[in-house]
Amino acid sequence: MKKIYILMGLVLLTAASCKKSFIDLAPKSSYSDQNYYQTDAQFGQAVTAAYSALRYVVTTDYLFSEMRSDNTIYQSFLNNRGTAYTDREKLSDFMDASTDSYTAAEWQKTYLVISRANIVITRLKTASGIPDASVKSYDGQCKFLRALMYFKLVRLFGGVPLFVKEVTTPEDAFLPRSSVNDVYKQIIADATDAINELPVPTKFPQTGVATKGSATVLLADVYVTLKRWADAETQLNTLAAMGYSLNANYADTFLPANKNSKESLFEVQFLDGTATGSTPDSLCFHFLPRSKNTSLITSLAIDNTTTGGWNTPTQDLISSYETGDKRLDASIGIAEGVYDGSNYFTYSAAKSVVNYSGPPSGKTAVPYVKKYEHTPAYISGSADDFPIYRYSEALLLLAEAQNEQGKSPLIALNTVRARAGLPAVTGADQTTLRNSILHERRIELAFENKRWHDLVRTGNAITVMNAFGVKLKTQISYISPDSYIVTNDKLLYPLPQAEVGLNTKLTQNPGY
Amino acid sequence: MNFYTLLWKQFMRTTILAFSILLTVGLLYVQAANVKAQGLNSRINVSVGNENLSTVIKNIESKSNLIFAYDEAYLGLKNIYVKPASFTNAPLETVLTNVLRYSGIGFKEEAGNILLFKQGSGKIAGRITDETGAPLPGASVKIAGTGTGVMTNNDGNYTLTVPEGTYTIEVTFVGYSKNETKDVKVAANKTATLNVSLTGGNLLKEVTVSYGKQRARDITGSITELSAAPLKDMPVIQFAQQLEGKVAGVSVVQSSGQPGRGIDFRIRGAASFFTDNQPLFVIDGMPITGSINNINPDEIESFSILKDASATALYGSRASNGVILITTRHAKPGTGTSVEFNANYGVQSIPGNKVPKVMNAEQFAEFMRERAQDGLLYEKNYNIANDYKAAYLDVDPSSYGTGTNWYKLLTRTAPIQNYDVTIQSATEKSSSTAIVSYSDQQGVLINTGTRLFSARINKDVSVANGKLKIGFNLAPSYRLDHNNRLTTDGVGGLFERIFEASPLISPFNADGSYNRVVNSPGMVAYVNPLAQFKLTNDDYKTTRILGNGYLNYEVLNGLMLKVNVGVDKGGETRNYYQSGIVTSTANNPTGTSSSVDNGSYTAEGYLNYTKTFHQDHHLQVLGGYSVQKYSSTANTLTGLGFPNDDIPYLTAATSVTGNSSYTDYSLLSVIGRINYDYQGKYLLQGAFRNDGSSRFGANSKYGNFPSVSAGWVVSDEKFMERFKNVDLFKIRASYGVTGNNFFSSNYVAQSTTSNYYYDYNNTITQGTTISNLGNANLQWERSLQLDLGFDVSLLKNRISLTYDYYHKISDHLIQARPLPTSSGYTTVYDNVGKLAFWGHEITINTVNINNRDFKWNSAFNISFDRNIIKSLVSPGYIRRNNTVTSDYFRQQVGHHLGEFYGFVFEGLYKDAADLANSPKYLATATSPNGSSDVGTIKVKDLNGDGVIDDVNDRTFIGDPTPTFTGGFTNNFTYKRFDLNIHTSFSVGGKILNAAKWAYQTNMDGSRVPLVAALDHWRSPEDPGSGIYPRTKTGTTAIGREVNTQWIENGSYFAIKNISLGYSIPFKNNIAFKSLRVFASVQQAFVFTGYSGMNPEINLTGQDPTQGIGIDENAYPIPRTFSLGISASIK
Repeated sequence: MKKIYILMGLVLLTAASCKKSFIDLAPKSSYSDQNYYQTDAQFGQAVTAAYSALRYVVTTDYLFSEMRSDNTIYQSFLNNRGTAYTDREKLSDFMDASTDSYTAAEWQKTYLVISRANIVITRLKTASGIPDASVKSYDGQCKFLRALMYFKLVRLFGGVPLFVKEVTTPEDAFLPRSSVNDVYKQIIADATDAINELPVPTKFPQTGVATKGSATVLLADVYVTLKRWADAETQLNTLAAMGYSLNANYADTFLPANKNSKESLFEVQFLDGTATGSTPDSLCFHFLPRSKNTSLITSLAIDNTTTGGWNTPTQDLISSYETGDKRLDASIGIAEGVYDGSNYFTYSAAKSVVNYSGPPSGKTAVPYVKKYEHTPAYISGSADDFPIYRYSEALLLLAEAQNEQGKSPLIALNTVRARAGLPAVTGADQTTLRNSILHERRIELAFENKRWHDLVRTGNAITVMNAFGVKLKTQISYISPDSYIVTNDKLLYPLPQAEVGLNTKLTQNPGY
Repeated sequence: MNFYTLLWKQFMRTTILAFSILLTVGLLYVQAANVKAQGLNSRINVSVGNENLSTVIKNIESKSNLIFAYDEAYLGLKNIYVKPASFTNAPLETVLTNVLRYSGIGFKEEAGNILLFKQGSGKIAGRITDETGAPLPGASVKIAGTGTGVMTNNDGNYTLTVPEGTYTIEVTFVGYSKNETKDVKVAANKTATLNVSLTGGNLLKEVTVSYGKQRARDITGSITELSAAPLKDMPVIQFAQQLEGKVAGVSVVQSSGQPGRGIDFRIRGAASFFTDNQPLFVIDGMPITGSINNINPDEIESFSILKDASATALYGSRASNGVILITTRHAKPGTGTSVEFNANYGVQSIPGNKVPKVMNAEQFAEFMRERAQDGLLYEKNYNIANDYKAAYLDVDPSSYGTGTNWYKLLTRTAPIQNYDVTIQSATEKSSSTAIVSYSDQQGVLINTGTRLFSARINKDVSVANGKLKIGFNLAPSYRLDHNNRLTTDGVGGLFERIFEASPLISPFNADGSYNRVVNSPGMVAYVNPLAQFKLTNDDYKTTRILGNGYLNYEVLNGLMLKVNVGVDKGGETRNYYQSGIVTSTANNPTGTSSSVDNGSYTAEGYLNYTKTFHQDHHLQVLGGYSVQKYSSTANTLTGLGFPNDDIPYLTAATSVTGNSSYTDYSLLSVIGRINYDYQGKYLLQGAFRNDGSSRFGANSKYGNFPSVSAGWVVSDEKFMERFKNVDLFKIRASYGVTGNNFFSSNYVAQSTTSNYYYDYNNTITQGTTISNLGNANLQWERSLQLDLGFDVSLLKNRISLTYDYYHKISDHLIQARPLPTSSGYTTVYDNVGKLAFWGHEITINTVNINNRDFKWNSAFNISFDRNIIKSLVSPGYIRRNNTVTSDYFRQQVGHHLGEFYGFVFEGLYKDAADLANSPKYLATATSPNGSSDVGTIKVKDLNGDGVIDDVNDRTFIGDPTPTFTGGFTNNFTYKRFDLNIHTSFSVGGKILNAAKWAYQTNMDGSRVPLVAALDHWRSPEDPGSGIYPRTKTGTTAIGREVNTQWIENGSYFAIKNISLGYSIPFKNNIAFKSLRVFASVQQAFVFTGYSGMNPEINLTGQDPTQGIGIDENAYPIPRTFSLGISASIK
């Protein structure tokens, strides 16, 4: 029996040594939310993570905000009808369905920024030991990002689910749509908070983070969209004092060497190369005709057969540049070459679009976006930042706000024109000026994802796009006859079908 | 009908079936008569002391009233002394037998007198084998009623020297039923031959069960044991391949032919919705945490497959998918030394009949020419590029001939070989087994292959008079995978690429270098698949050590302390380099160097108490603890910017980036089990496990897994004695709860962070935030399983039948549940719903013929498995993904697992009238034809709104779950020849053939289509076969969206292996004890109506949420012809 007792003792000892902590394991090569968001530096990193998601947004946003408009179209790829291609073409053609995978991507990525901003905003409220200055800065930056993203969403989709705090349980993830009005209220509140919390730029080039200036121009843009002209003007008038002004040369504004300049109110940051953490901008390949070798334009031998062929400037846009506008050459280039039977382009020359008289016999001329086309250090992409707000847009917004209130917009408008090498506009009636300002916006801000929103907010989208479509179909053979049927319903995109299918609280936009 | 009604009906059916069997057997019942001699039967009372025989015989003679005739001097009776004994009312025969034992004196009755005579001695010799004819070393051969006996030697042979006479010989062997041969006559100086074949091994044999062994007849759960020996002839390097079709309810399929990989298990339809459906593998008592690919089949002695909850319950949280216990080879005590050598060599080739027949150069040029001609004819502004015109319109297609045959270039006949040496040595107290083996399987796709070096040492020692048993098992292995894990399978996989490349294009440039892209005009630019195989080097080197040590100590009589400690240690390095010629981003040579170090340990201690009360009550109690911990460290370095391909290591890279990571999990458990039986007839078992797992939410880390089972050995009842031919009839029932904690990530219950970088004004800055949403409420996935079954053995165990019915509810199913992406997350691990599984399993093993020279055994099994999704979180379904083209299936309440989802195909629009009268794809008011036209694919307008769209006009179009599956194995031996035929079958499951319809009949012209697509629609007058639509621009996209045309019957009957062996006779050979040569064909024939290459295919294994029965291409499965020898050396 003695043996038994010894044995039982041993067994009990073994059992006792198996502590509960044995099964309390936390990840070691990453943080868990239980041990993160404790220090000033960690909150700083969480804010950085929110910024980083902006890059995803700008890599799809051109499909929604430029290709949908009369500024750009796509290159033919009729021999490959995979959804990776048709889903993008249909956005341009107003033939998109709710199952479009790029719509889902745009939605998701925009909300990803919001989600990361919400984590910071929510957790800052209960964090302790973070210096006040940091709390203000992080909260302001995240509110700016959240407002910027909701502003994008509300214009693309209308009233959307309004997430304003961190999602912590599966149930938190299912929200119904809020009204357009409520979304705008939140945007204005966030942008206002951001203006109050963020500092003005202390030096140029800037650090790349959101500033009071960024939030101010955003709020002004929102006011202009809501036609609250006086409020917009008030905001815009504060910018000059913050040190912003135009660069002398339009083309210089887009140089990677010139990023975050005094003209920049906010831009999405990219860096080329292969170092860990560098995030190259691959848009320079998206915007060229798809080819097995683009070295004639990119210097590096790039095969963009699977990525290229998008956001091709239209003849309509090229024709609308005034003679002598320096912005034409800075914004658009011409690639000459030959398309083969697989719709791959063999480049033979890169030409200037200025006074371009057409390709030599047997060649095709394809315009391409030149603004972001700067030689990359490595084949994964270039160092081109993507502008969100520039001071010239602030000037044009100011001009518009002034004109709509019956004030003279000429100083602001002509500042922008002067830099482009164009003569000043002199006195004219409000309507003429309204059109001039809009035209100026189209040219000045071409390929900066503004055009579609401008067409919609000014009520011009249906007329302009239907007329554009009719004309386009006579020029471009591969555009479907069913394309560019633009109705009121098409002014909003459908909510992604997967989202509607999953969340029964959501309702689809009419027409989809 | 509710569940209990179903259950009751099922029970009734079972009972009726059982009684029918009993009745049949009853008719076979024959009563045997018995006649005996009179004199020797007369009964006497006598007692003998230490006397000599002379006195004793006289004493007996006086008491028996019979006359004894003998010559006392000749027999030397006075010199022979007997042992004291006392007989009361004992037959004279018994008395004489006892007193004359070992005296060399015989007796017989003649005319009422008893004659005593001097016996000569003779011999009985022979061979003891099992049902299959395999020798049984160590079997006991005894003269009934005496202590005389011997054990058989390694070849199963024995020789007994006995006085002449007539004997009853008893042959016994642990685990086999006793054999008695009466009337064996032995004459002086002669040898009587007696060969015995023991049967019924499966009844009494001890079966490996969770935490121990149990006699088969005492088992109350659903357990199938399978010996590995009969599977040895298969030329395979994964043991899993040997198990195909062997066990009812265990689906083992080979979904990919990658050497040494691609096998999927699913036991009883699998329990889980998400996660891994692979069963838990336990080798010599140690649960395996790593891959099973490194386990060499040569090392395995037997498999125990645990299916129901009572069998698996002791593995609690990991048992929902079933458990496979693997016992490796251990030398049997007392069998001496043996050396065995096995070798086989085979050649593998892809069976040609199912290889997709894609267009050759001439055919493809013709197809492209017609496409352009139709374009010009039907489409406005149709534009033909110059190179397209030059390639197809200006040239006669026939001038291209057959062109490049990519399939031929990329496939080959490849060798497979395997060698192993086993050395065993065993005394009564110590036994060792050492196995060393080498396997090499080259791939049938060029430049792929795998090699495995493995060894195993198993040592068992018994000390302290057998009270203490200790031992260890150690199995190191080293595996080299060369290009064996490249993504050959699936969409965009290298195998698909073989069929997409243009036959008009040469793989090589004029200078002999590789062409990067091999598309002809009009096609998508595909990277040269030949170059991809040749210029990619992806080597994995995997080292693995499985080891465990155990100690069994008999503390008191019946009380055993068992301690088992094991490790599963793995290390893997990868060296990858891909030339810039073939990288997906052109000119981007990429190298990767990575390594993983993982390991787990398990420590278990338990007490096992066995006690018999009042003779008939047998009790066994087991209780103990178990801990397990797994951890893994991994790092990866990626190099870019290699100046050339000369040095494929990162030293040549101009930029190197990398990271490292760590992950772990742990399990803390208490186990307990009680087995009770009364007279071995009424069996009861209760088992319990409590698991604490690090993987679950803080609120639900612990799970309880109880089970109960009962058995009734009906055949032991008195009323069954009439049924002489029923050896065993046992009814079983069990119910229990098991769990599932297998999923890929260890920390899903917690929100974890990832790093995201941002470059503030060219300053690289690291950001970090939550990347995965945790779920603190995540709890165990449970499986509640009922099992009802019976076992019957008939005709001296020549026929045995096992039947099981199971019903399993899996609830709290864990799934990466899709979340609205507006939350910032795409999925969260959550308990999402409930599944029901039920089915019938029948196994029949028969000894059809058992002659001296010819033996024939069969094993047949069949299972009928069903499932239904009972509940799911809102919105009641989970789709595969969000793009219509690959949204192959949908999990939806009220439907079966993985039911295919898509359009209903209605042919092609025949003519303008048909088009006008039918709904059209994506039609709108402004575009009434949408993207449909005459000659395009027409599908059904399910919601009747007159328009076909992706959201409303798709439905459930096929169920991948087979109606039944099973296998049929036959073993024949004729003299020295043996023949084994292994087959497996599956009937009624559907396959979604995406490989064919999404890609190989693509009418865009972007890929090379099947030859059959030449016969496509060209005009209402020339509609072709009516299957393949027209090539009109903008109408072909719907061809990539799933429709009923893609759904095929996946039934098959596969002859997995045929092997023929011959044992070469040896007499006094100095080298060999035995030598057998054999030839075998693996994957011999697959009979199927399925048009794809492999009816066993699955998209990603057998994970039902990843899709069952979806063919997106996979590495082809070769047919292997091999020759082998297996020798036992002196």
